[in-house]
This record gives sequence, structure tokens and C-alpha cells, in this order.
Amino acid sequence: MTIELKIPEYSANWAEGEQQGKWGMAIDMDICTGCQACVAACAMENNIPFVGEADSGYGRSMHWIRTERFWEGEFPEIKMTPYQPVLCQQCGHAPCEPVCPAFATVHSQAEALNLQVYNRCVGTRYCANNCPYQVRSFNWRDYERPEPLPNQLNPDVTVRRRGVMEKCTFCIQRIHRAQDQAKAEGREVADGEFTTACAQACPADAIVFGRIDDPESAVSKLAGGARGFHMLEELGTLPAVTYLKGG
Amino acid sequence: MVKRFMSWLSDPLGRIGLLIAFLAVFSGAAFGLYTTQTAPPQPIQFPHALHVGLEIQCLYCHPGAYRQASAGLPTETKCWGCHQQLSKYADGTVALPAELQKLKGYVDAGQPIPWVPVAQVPDFVHFNHRPHVAAGLNCENCHGNMAVTGFTVAENPQVMNMGWCLECHRARTAEDPEKRTKLLDCGTCHY
Repeated sequence: MTIELKIPEYSANWAEGEQQGKWGMAIDMDICTGCQACVAACAMENNIPFVGEADSGYGRSMHWIRTERFWEGEFPEIKMTPYQPVLCQQCGHAPCEPVCPAFATVHSQAEALNLQVYNRCVGTRYCANNCPYQVRSFNWRDYERPEPLPNQLNPDVTVRRRGVMEKCTFCIQRIHRAQDQAKAEGREVADGEFTTACAQACPADAIVFGRIDDPESAVSKLAGGARGFHMLEELGTLPAVTYLKGG
Repeated sequence: MVKRFMSWLSDPLGRIGLLIAFLAVFSGAAFGLYTTQTAPPQPIQFPHALHVGLEIQCLYCHPGAYRQASAGLPTETKCWGCHQQLSKYADGTVALPAELQKLKGYVDAGQPIPWVPVAQVPDFVHFNHRPHVAAGLNCENCHGNMAVTGFTVAENPQVMNMGWCLECHRARTAEDPEKRTKLLDCGTCHY
């Protein structure tokens, strides 16, 4: 018996300057107050473990979204840059994908997202080392969830185990749920019908999520404006997340 | 070491010892394999074939399959809702059979029946019944014909693994490339 090995072929079909992807996000850095509500909401929605003080000290803290800030200028005249929530940019041409030896991080052709298939992941951490945004987090241990914390686990999201890489999925469980609901009612998913956990929690509405391939959607209008820029755009990763600054 | 083992083999007692050791390992492995292939014990020996024979719809007891991810297992009150109305038991002409007495025990105690689900997928797989029912699949396509005698307690007629899922997804989307992309995408089930 011969086993036919079919290795999925990775192809990035993109043209220079072309807007990529299906789902996109616009984050307004002028509105963001750095309150960390998105960080907390993301952790609750996606069953992200609590790493604890000791492991955090080793730089092993786990977040799918973090709020970054930088100082500008020399000491007496320092100025803080606006807060910047950083999550997986869901690159159209992702550096993490071609380096995975187990094909655990693959590009979804259907949803145009970077997937992380936990049951394929063998924990080489190549993807995290190759990610220019440093948004991937690795399960260094099976982190403890004392009772009654397991009761707040989201049943729609896999609880990852030790030795598995994980990252923001653009709340793909919510995408699937909205698509399933829309299909049951025989219609298309409407813009703004659902959103990611971080966007939902944002008290300033600085995060807008939606279809980037629909020019009429709220996120497309924001991302297409003059204030929009992509993080580390010069790398050519074609991020689906657009930051807005300088309003 | 090898020399000592060979000389030990030439001894008939050594050979018998080796045979016993081999049999112990082999039977242990066989027993382990056997336990993975047998149905787990259920709290009540539920006769699926009898209920299907009475033309009760699958969706009557597992209504979740029609509208949500999980089909659900019936509660004790759902079972008792029908069973308390059976007149031959209600007027005392026929004594309540042992299995129904167990059911009555759960109802009287107000406790759910601890059914053991047998058709299960791992944690990292997110299966949704609704689109499968909406695609025109019948329950027996995946869960087997429950009306066949012998299916007292449900047993999976096939191994529910990814190859089996994809076989059907491939076959049913041969003409629709867009649907095929969606149904063969990792992110459709694994997230």
C-alpha cells in the first residue's frame, strides 16, 4: 500500500498595492486610551491561560493582544507616543507560515486569515521567531486554572495544552457563529452584526472590525482614509490591521 | 549478554518463560485495543431500536441537531414525559421494568441521567450539527441505522476521524469550488 503524501502548497497570490484579505480591522490610535479592556476581553474570550509572575519574568506571558507605548525624544523633553494595541496582523503574505515544518500555521483560503492548527503544532516556535510583530505566544507549561475558573472557559475555543503555539484568530469562532446564523436565516452576514471580543470591549470604540473586501463596510472606509497606515509596512507582509493616526 | 540469552534460550524452561512473557505482552495489548472498541457502560440500557420502531423522530429527543452545534442528550423529564403516560404501567397491570425503574429513580431524585456520549470528537474539533442537517444529511448517514436489532445502546458504525469527515466533504463539493475551499479549510473545524 502506498500512502499518497499531499503537502499543501503555499501560494501568496497578491499584487503590489492591492488590498488583501476578507476580514480586516481598523484601530484608531488617536482614540485609544490604553485602558487594556481589549487585553482582558481577549483573554476571557479565547481561554488564554494565566501565566503567573514567575513565568512572566522570563518573558513567557501570554496575550493575543497587547497595548504598546513608546517614549519619543531625549530625557527632559520626552513625549509619549499614542497607545498602540498590537495583535496578529493576519498578514496576506505572512512570514510565520512558510517556516512551519508541521504546516500548523497555514493560510485559510476561505477566510483569508492566518490559522493556527493546535493539533498539528509540535512546538518548534519557528513561527514566533519569524513574526515581525511578536504577537505569537507559546504555552511553556500547562498553566493551572484553579476552581471555579474553568467555568468561565469559552466552549467555542480549544483549551490549548503545553507545547503549542497560539495567536489571535480574529475571533474566528464568532465569524463562524455569525456565518452559521446568517446562513440559517438565508441571508449574508451584515456589516457590524458581530465583532471581535477586543472591539466589543473597547469603551472608546477605537477598534472597528469587519469585511475589508467590502468597500461599503465601516472598517474599509476607515482603513482607506488618509490617516491609515500599516505596521512595519515596508516588510511587505500585507497586514489586515490598519492603524489610524494623526487626526 | 547475547551469549547468555542464547544459552538461556536452549533451555526448555527458558523457552517456556519467553513464551509466557510474549503472551502476557500480547494479551495486554489485545485487551487494551478491545477496551477502545467497546461501548462504555450507560446508566440505562436504552433500546434505540424499540423507540425507532415506534416511529419516534430522532429530533424529538435530540432537538439540538436541527438548530445548534450540539444535538443534546434527553433529560430525565423528557423521557418520563412519555413514559409516565403509558397506561399499562400507570394502572398497575404491568410492573415497571427494571430499566424504567432506574429512570423513575432519576425523576424522583430530580437528577439528570448521566448519559455517556459515544459519538464524540476531540476538543480541538468544533463540529456543528446544524449545517449538516441543513445540507440534507440524515442522522443515520453518520450515526448508523438505529433500527437495526442489536443497537440497544448506540455504537458508532464508523470511526469518526478527519479522513472520514473530509471524504464526505470532498465528494459533496466536487462541483462547487467555493464551497470546497470552505469545507476543506483547516479553520472551518480547528480553532
